[in-house]
Amino acid sequence: MPAYAAKRFAVALLVLFVVSVLTFTFTNVAVDPAIAIAGEGATDAQIERLRREYGFDRPLYVQYGEWLSGTLAGDFGTSIRQRRPVLTMLAEKFPVTATVGGLALILAFVVAVPLGMVAALRPNSWIDRFALGFAVVGMAMPTFWFGLVLIIVFGVTLHWLPVSGTGTAAHFVMPSIALSYYSIPIIMRLTRAGMIDVMASDYIRTARAKGLLPRTVLFKHALRNAVIPVVAVAAVQFGHLLAGSVVVESVFALHGIGYMAWEALHAADLPVIQAVVVVLAGFYILLVFLSDLLNAFLDPRIRIA
Amino acid sequence: MTALLEVDGLSVTFPATAGDFRPVRDVSFSVDRGETLCIVGESGCGKSLTALALMGLLPKWARRDARRLELQGRDLVGLTERQLADIRGRRMSMVFQEPMTSLNPAYTVGEQLSETYRRHYLSRRGVARDRAIYLLETVGITAAASRLRQYPHQLSGGLRQRVMIAMALICEPNLIIADEPTTALDVTIQAQILHLLSALQKRFGMGMVLITHDLGIVARVATRVAVMYAGQIVETGTVDEVFANPLHPYTQALLRCIPVPGRVKRGEHLGSIPGAVPTLMGDLGGCHFRNRCAYAHAACAPDPILMNEVTPGRGYRCVVPAAICAARGHGAAA
Ligand SMILES: Nc1ncnc2c1ncn2[C@@H]1O[C@H](COP(=O)(O)OP(=O)(O)OP(=O)(O)O)[C@@H](O)[C@H]1O
Ligand SMILES: [Mg+2]
Repeated sequence: MPAYAAKRFAVALLVLFVVSVLTFTFTNVAVDPAIAIAGEGATDAQIERLRREYGFDRPLYVQYGEWLSGTLAGDFGTSIRQRRPVLTMLAEKFPVTATVGGLALILAFVVAVPLGMVAALRPNSWIDRFALGFAVVGMAMPTFWFGLVLIIVFGVTLHWLPVSGTGTAAHFVMPSIALSYYSIPIIMRLTRAGMIDVMASDYIRTARAKGLLPRTVLFKHALRNAVIPVVAVAAVQFGHLLAGSVVVESVFALHGIGYMAWEALHAADLPVIQAVVVVLAGFYILLVFLSDLLNAFLDPRIRIA
Repeated sequence: MTALLEVDGLSVTFPATAGDFRPVRDVSFSVDRGETLCIVGESGCGKSLTALALMGLLPKWARRDARRLELQGRDLVGLTERQLADIRGRRMSMVFQEPMTSLNPAYTVGEQLSETYRRHYLSRRGVARDRAIYLLETVGITAAASRLRQYPHQLSGGLRQRVMIAMALICEPNLIIADEPTTALDVTIQAQILHLLSALQKRFGMGMVLITHDLGIVARVATRVAVMYAGQIVETGTVDEVFANPLHPYTQALLRCIPVPGRVKRGEHLGSIPGAVPTLMGDLGGCHFRNRCAYAHAACAPDPILMNEVTPGRGYRCVVPAAICAARGHGAAA
């Protein structure tokens, strides 16, 4: 297990490094930082002066090295627009996004796994059909639209929940629900497929032949194997959730990373864009790493080669 | 005193709109303590489904019917799933055809063994663990204590089948059903596993139902034989009776297919049975073997052929009188 973990960790670091190189390169190619800083109406001479002043005239790899050593030391630079350290901005916004994303993922699992299980145990029953319908609607419905429906029903009409902001725990309810619905279909269908497969397997027949009680067969022998493929996609799903977070944050006026990225993109605020991409990528890579570990824990065939 | 296992009129049906699929039809046999009944027959004749029907492990959509299905005088037909679960693994257990996939990949060998014991005898973990070690040693696995920590994927097929056998025996059942336990294994391992099963069956005084399509195995381990063809038992009797004096034309043809040292002359062709097994849909009307039988005539259809009891425990499913059948058998074997 330690060897496996070390290997996965090395891979994760490598991926993160590649991502940072690509991010830095592409953002610098897409946006001329000197022009972005100078703002509209600056003369060529002014831009040229800025370029030299900030060192943008040096080769890209030198700039990357500088940026990387800063980043590793926890210094993401200064926002061009807000003239504040990017790290401070991240520290403000990240918890909001992480809360919404985390709650959404938990909610998605809590709803989707049991629903997928029940659907698998009673294929073609009314509950299976209901689950399928639920999944199809979830896949077809855009997140922003679902968010708006929630706002109209529970915020405007029923006055149960606040419609925007981050003041209280209640503020996070609707955004999390809106975001989770995006992941429910895939997790549910995977659980269902995994469960149907596993229930038809020889070792489940063995478990029954040993006289084990139905609940032991189901929860100990079947579920454990059925969730292995689900765990593998969970991290990927969380990545999607972070992406979907941009939409949800703007619908519910939450000031999270997504909102910050959206602002930065409009302002061509290079240090902020780079930091957001790298932090989200890093977070995503970390989750993939954790799900690899969890999978290895669940499946001894991965753990013990 | 009744036999350990009594099966009378067992049928398995898969209902379908296009016509019911009936892979097991009116199967009857009994097994006593200390006895090995071998069920032989071609692939697809319904051997595995018969075994699964006994264990109550048929797929949900299958229907099981039986006039009588008793283990130690206890009726198995009307049992709830919970009552059946109390019997499975403790009174009767089963070893499957596929050792590679029959163990749960997520749990250690030790866990899978001892959970079986703890399920039926509410014992402490330490006791169940000792029991697991004892059983692994019994089935001839060395370094048993360290094997407990291993996962199925770390074991060879032969070892996994030994583990399956240990698991089936851990609660000392009265009946063990082994469904082609060696088919998936190397030839050299096959003999070892069979010897083991047969020795353990004697040692524990169990009744055993051994399913196989290898007549060589039957000759070595069986007390009694049931020959299956297309969902029916076509002949039963002791090994000696069936091998020395086969009555049903199918049994005779089957025996002609295996080389017997001394009986097969050099250069003589081994027999093979021409024709195809009928599809087991709906009512087949008459003898199932008639399209392949060398002696088929008008009386073989359309009425169902019943089992003729020659003596108790000795029967065959054919319209021709036993004496004539026997003469044909000897003619064929000579
Ligand atoms: N779950 C099932 N659903 C539908 N048909 C099945 C099912 N299991 C088996 N059958 C069919 O029933 C017939 C008898 O199957 P069974 O497995 O009992 O044969 P068998 O005698 O054990 O053969 P083998 O020697 O190949 O193991 C076959 O035609 C098989 O295809
Ligand atoms: Mg079979």
